[in-house]
Amino acid sequence: MSALKSRIASPSAGASNGSLSPGAGDRFELESGEKVVASCRFDLDANLRFTDGSIVLTDRRLMADPPASADGGPAFDGSPRSWRLDPETTIDVHLRSAVGRIELAQQGRVVARWLFTPARAKGVHALEDAFDARVHGQTPQSRDTEADTDTDADTDTDEQPESGAPAGGKSLSEDEPAASGMGTSWRALFRVLAFARPHASMAILGIFLTLASTVATLVPPYLTMPLVDSVLIPKQAGEPIPFAHVWWYLGGLALAATAAWLLSWARSWTLAWVSERIAADLRVKTYAHMQTLSLDFFSGKRTGDLMSRVGSDTDRINIFLSVNVIEFASNVMLVVLTAVVLIWINPWLALVTLAPFPLVVWLVYAVRTGLRRGFARASVAWADMTSVLADTIPGIRVVKAFAQESREVARFSDSNDRVLDANDRVNVVWAFFGPLVSLFSEIGLLVVWAAGAWMVFSGSVTVGMLTAFLTYISRFYGRIESMIHMVPATQRAATSAQRIFDILDCQPTVAEAARPINPGRVRGRIEISNLHFRYGAREILHGIDLTIEPGEMIGLVGTSGSGKSTLANLVCRFYDPSSGSIKIDGNDLRDLSITDYRRNLGCVLQEPFLFFGTIAENIAYGCPTDATSDPDELRQRIVAAARAAGAHEFILAQPLAYDSRVGERGGSLSGGERQRLSIARALLVDPRILVLDEATSAVDAETEAIIQAAIDRLVAGRTTIAIAHRLSTLRRANRLVVLDHGRIAEMGTHDDLLAAEGAYARLYHAQQKAAEEAAAGV
Amino acid sequence: MTSPEHPLPPALHAPSPHTPATLPGWRLERASHGRLDFIDSTGQRHGDVDVLRAFPVSAPAGPVVIVATDGAELAWIDPLSDLDAPLRGLLETSLSQREFLPVIERIESVSDGEPMEWSVVTDRGPRWFTVAHIDDIVYAPDGSVSITDSVGVRYAIPQLSRLDSRSRRLLDRLD
Repeated sequence: MSALKSRIASPSAGASNGSLSPGAGDRFELESGEKVVASCRFDLDANLRFTDGSIVLTDRRLMADPPASADGGPAFDGSPRSWRLDPETTIDVHLRSAVGRIELAQQGRVVARWLFTPARAKGVHALEDAFDARVHGQTPQSRDTEADTDTDADTDTDEQPESGAPAGGKSLSEDEPAASGMGTSWRALFRVLAFARPHASMAILGIFLTLASTVATLVPPYLTMPLVDSVLIPKQAGEPIPFAHVWWYLGGLALAATAAWLLSWARSWTLAWVSERIAADLRVKTYAHMQTLSLDFFSGKRTGDLMSRVGSDTDRINIFLSVNVIEFASNVMLVVLTAVVLIWINPWLALVTLAPFPLVVWLVYAVRTGLRRGFARASVAWADMTSVLADTIPGIRVVKAFAQESREVARFSDSNDRVLDANDRVNVVWAFFGPLVSLFSEIGLLVVWAAGAWMVFSGSVTVGMLTAFLTYISRFYGRIESMIHMVPATQRAATSAQRIFDILDCQPTVAEAARPINPGRVRGRIEISNLHFRYGAREILHGIDLTIEPGEMIGLVGTSGSGKSTLANLVCRFYDPSSGSIKIDGNDLRDLSITDYRRNLGCVLQEPFLFFGTIAENIAYGCPTDATSDPDELRQRIVAAARAAGAHEFILAQPLAYDSRVGERGGSLSGGERQRLSIARALLVDPRILVLDEATSAVDAETEAIIQAAIDRLVAGRTTIAIAHRLSTLRRANRLVVLDHGRIAEMGTHDDLLAAEGAYARLYHAQQKAAEEAAAGV
Repeated sequence: MTSPEHPLPPALHAPSPHTPATLPGWRLERASHGRLDFIDSTGQRHGDVDVLRAFPVSAPAGPVVIVATDGAELAWIDPLSDLDAPLRGLLETSLSQREFLPVIERIESVSDGEPMEWSVVTDRGPRWFTVAHIDDIVYAPDGSVSITDSVGVRYAIPQLSRLDSRSRRLLDRLD
């Protein structure tokens, strides 16, 4: 149990006696041969001011620095203090609110008290567990050496107990996509480029075509220069120039225009092809990654928000890449090449022409800051509006039942107003900015006219040159104007990219082992030892010990919040325990391959979920569909499962029998019918371990009897964990386990527990009485 | 259901005495008004039974079920070809009425929005119907399309690619 040794054992602590320096202000002297067992930090002093202190548990002492955050014993002088461990020493951790308390008592008298915030709870609890194990040997069943190493391993996995991270893992920055600063958003946009790598050849072709089409658009103004200077003006001056010369130039102009058209057509198509694929890859990758994430990710997220991340955000990136980036790239090339051509023709006139350009660039930069926050706000407002829809449309029955339609419309209208408001603010900046750039380009033209006219008069430029300059410059400023559209587009795309990478960067809290064991088909022996589970700072399970034999049915009984569902979720490995272990056939659950293990698992939940599809498809949902499997055989198995689940006959009554479509939530089927379909679904996978979570609580008594018969068939020969409020549904259970506030209160058969006259007996009699009263009432 | 002048013998015994090999232990009888009576192996009679396919779409030649009026399953026949010809014929006749499935040969028009109003030409003549929701149009991976109208009648397009281009365009526009 040297759980936190790794952290304490900083380089200076290699020797067993010497001063440890785990952090600033920690000065612990170890005696020779003394070993650190656990440590934790606390962060509040007696006056509830933030501080930083630590407590270290060794194999013989408990040490603290500063000695105590609340004065519970003799006055302290500021130096570390230690207390010898003896069986009369107890530690008590109390955490009900934002302030937790650790109390050290000797002979029943509190000798020290420390205060901490929930940020430190994980470490404190680990220390408490280690303390109890060391001093009172409270690790149940006097843990053997193997169990010891296990615990070491799992404490290692939840390192950083003091980082304050809740059990939920890395959270998404949902409220302020750009809150972490523009840097990360821009970086997110660059990360999108990694998705272009598989299409690199097309992307390079696209860039080449962009360059070529830009060059082609620069040719026509250049041709006007000789056309004016050596054809039109001499002709006007009376020189005999044949019209054929004009034809040459016109032909060149037409050719350049055609080439520009063809090249930009090819360019648009190529780059749109690439960006479409980048967005498609992003979508699939985001969704696939979302599927690997653990349940706690989804419980903390709004469906609408996730949907808009996978859907609209990837699409926005697609549009950004296929429209804005192409435009921007060709604009930049055009601006650069135009500048080069102008300088080449006449450096002085070029200088005058390009002078306002830095001013425009500065303006773009200044406005960027203003627009940035506006777009982030608009994006959040939009997500909020989507969330209102995702929230109320599935809950429409409740809305209507309580006649709250107008309130929901008002709610939607409110969030719509926020979208409007956010967009208005952006538009204010925007509306001012666009015309300003137009003004600059007008001024630029004026400057060129003035300088050009002056230069023509002084004879340093020709009329043809001036014509070419004017043609170039009008394009030049036109491009700058459209380049400015790039700013909000980039901003928006960067925000979207950030929202997507937020998901992609989320790590599943239930992680696959480095070298997962494929359990194959398990026998179904479940050993739960000293199982603790904390969600955030709250401990839900406090040391559960339970062994379930293969084929045994366990009924979990207890009030809401007693930890029944949590225990079932841990057996399904939807979450990992905080400490302790669950072993399946002797293998730790965390070492097994998650999907291979879950193939052994069948779940029937309180709210049966049916996917959009036919009844047959829903029953076969858990079956791996490979092309080699015989559809006839699968159909036979589907029918057999439906028969066993008592679903066969109502399925035949549907318009298309097994091929009838059921909707998102089961459509026309009743709750009991949907539940029987979900039992058939569980039967078809022939699970070794079955979890029934309140499978019959949502149906009436008559339907319950049918479902109960189906469940009885389902349970036979499988290790079963059944949760039920109605005790009558657990009559087939081999053993009943009564949970109370995360602990096992009682365990035994129905008769044993009745005879014991404990919590179970009280619950049973209460239900009997209620049932009798109900019967009498009818 | 069936009209009285339907060209079928008034009664058919499933286990015909001449063909005991296919003896299913039960038999069917044609009752009045084209109804079918089912007599189970214990001799008990169930009037006006229903014959249906368990997988009418995904396995149109697959298992057939005989269901009593109260919904209880009386017989499961898989495959139908195991039965002797007269009994099979009786079942197939009953199924054919149940499996009324006009094949759409041409789409004349489809209105915008939901419900959609369809005007089509089927192998059973022209027809006008409404489809409540886009989800009622199901595209199967084999290229066939199944359309269920708002009153529950199904229409089939066996092979989308063989439909004329104008009809296909009308259908395409719906997605």
